[in-house]
Amino acid sequence: MFKKILIANRGEIAVRIQRACRELGIKTVAVFSDADRQAMHVRYADEAYYLGPSPSRESYLRGDKLIDIARKSGAEAIHPGYGFLAERADFAAACAEAGLVFIGPKPSSIAAMGDKATARATVAKAGVTIVPGTEGQGNLRDEELLTLAPKIGFPLLIKATAGGGGKGMREVNSLEEMPELLQSARREAEASFGDGNVYLEKLIEGAHHIEFQILADQWGNVIHLGERECSIQRRHQKLIEESPSPFLGNNEALRRRMGEVAVQAARSVDYLNTGTIEFLVDNNYNFYFLEMNTRLQVEHPVTEMVTGIDIVAEQIRIASGLPLSHRQEDIRWRGAAIECRINAEDPYNNFMPSVGRITLTQFPTGPGVRVDTGVHVGYEVTPYYDPLIAKLIVWGETRTQAILRLRRALEEYRIAGVRTNIPFHQSMMASYSFLSGAYNTRFVEEQFPGIDAAENRELYLDIAALMATLVTHHETERRSQIYSRPPRPSLWKWGLFPERPKR
Amino acid sequence: MKYIAEIDGLEFPIEILDEHHVRFGQEIIEVDLAAVSGQPIYSLLVNGESYEGYVYPEEGFLQVLLMGQFYSVRVMDEREKRLRTAGAAVSPTGEFTLKAPMPGLVIAVPVEEGQQVEKGQILVILESMKMQNELRAPRAGKVSRLRVKAGESVEQKQPLLNIV
Repeated sequence: MFKKILIANRGEIAVRIQRACRELGIKTVAVFSDADRQAMHVRYADEAYYLGPSPSRESYLRGDKLIDIARKSGAEAIHPGYGFLAERADFAAACAEAGLVFIGPKPSSIAAMGDKATARATVAKAGVTIVPGTEGQGNLRDEELLTLAPKIGFPLLIKATAGGGGKGMREVNSLEEMPELLQSARREAEASFGDGNVYLEKLIEGAHHIEFQILADQWGNVIHLGERECSIQRRHQKLIEESPSPFLGNNEALRRRMGEVAVQAARSVDYLNTGTIEFLVDNNYNFYFLEMNTRLQVEHPVTEMVTGIDIVAEQIRIASGLPLSHRQEDIRWRGAAIECRINAEDPYNNFMPSVGRITLTQFPTGPGVRVDTGVHVGYEVTPYYDPLIAKLIVWGETRTQAILRLRRALEEYRIAGVRTNIPFHQSMMASYSFLSGAYNTRFVEEQFPGIDAAENRELYLDIAALMATLVTHHETERRSQIYSRPPRPSLWKWGLFPERPKR
Repeated sequence: MKYIAEIDGLEFPIEILDEHHVRFGQEIIEVDLAAVSGQPIYSLLVNGESYEGYVYPEEGFLQVLLMGQFYSVRVMDEREKRLRTAGAAVSPTGEFTLKAPMPGLVIAVPVEEGQQVEKGQILVILESMKMQNELRAPRAGKVSRLRVKAGESVEQKQPLLNIV
């Protein structure tokens, strides 16, 4: 087992990884940018080193500096977390060259799954069904894509081959609007990934986004830890994830088949460590391979809560050469878990990012509640990194208990100084469609009525008015007391100063 | 002492009678306000019912976080109220200055100086926290002055453009 690990990340995930290291008796090395000097991941670490200025390309994306710090500090391995360098094959290769263990898959698997068009071709060859689209035909020009489009059928999606996070993605409803959308998709892909190549994929309407967690060791063992339903999304960003998927429900045959296909897809790229196979499932329960994320996912705690397995600890064990701790037949799923991503954004103002100093945090606790965070009172939320400030995860024996618990926990959660999307989660937990589990990837943008501000708001308007007035009044009173305080006893009374001449 | 609290365009007249009694509209109610030690958290009892709130000042308003919602409250005494009303009467519709709601990078400015804009029209696209945000016109008008261009980094509250 390793003695020391460098964590090439920040925020809640860096803290999460440090926790796993602590439990395994491994020393941790943190890195930080200017903006993160006082961050929790710096304060929790055994050692912490300065990386560079706040923009990520000058700090958390500086692979060369990270490798340098790892060597100097005597770390044997680097955990990339998610985002930043987690899915960069060149960084994984550079680690290996420097004699450091990259806690993740082999560079070849990252590359194979990183190019979305190659990934589709690879898994299709292994017998996995993919969403119909342009396949394995290399990089296509606009004219070729325009000829292929009607064969795929509209509506369809233009996607960046280097893509992720919805960047360079466009929905096309007709051939007429396609040339313009192709242009803007290429432009955005070029700006985001330095690669303007795109491919086409049929748009599956009303689809569910369901993903399977994979674990694979160096000894040829590949298992899955079940699914996560991630259909609650806004602008292709996941907001709520849960396991088990209410859509799959009691359909154990389908669940088993999807798990087997996920393992098969991972094997097709000779996978190692942890990863996620994403599927789209249509209303007739047909499922299609969408892509593979070759890293630890933001939403991994959902799976940890229902399986009891510490996925980050498993990652570290696998990277150190140990075999998996569990066989597929040992995995048991118990109860239901739901995660809400708490983002610094204003749900009343079109989810506009909110920056500022956090002045109050009170986390919910109690039975079945887990909070993964990297912020604290006094911490400054800056515009440099993503808006995720915490993840609230609950577990219940049943989905209903989990929802009731989540409502309770959201109510307990206090955070001030920045706006958060907690009110969004609260109204989601009151939405009938969510409660009944009848939702798909279109739900938030097309059907969710939004935050029902009016009703609750009016109920407490008078209390808010009263509280603000009383606080103002007390402040005014306090101040006037200071002004009218009797003067200090004069010092010359005690003979300390000579008497002043009277004017 | 008489106050007027304004929230969401509604006015609540509140008169402090003594430490534990206020006149709220026509009604006299019993109140007790206690600060949770060392923090801007307050516990308020209203006729024995307990409420917890977080109260802090921001730009002339008191921000109240109560039952999971934010309320922006302007508390005025009678003199301030008179001043405000008088001020509002002479102030013209005036110029609107669009300010950056957060620091970020200007991605695009899809309007030109002198251009007539509709309410809700996109004025500036600002990238922050890995997201592109559309800043829209709060009312119709003419762009009288453009102060930024695409590619520029801006600070929070920096003026971006003016509308008359």
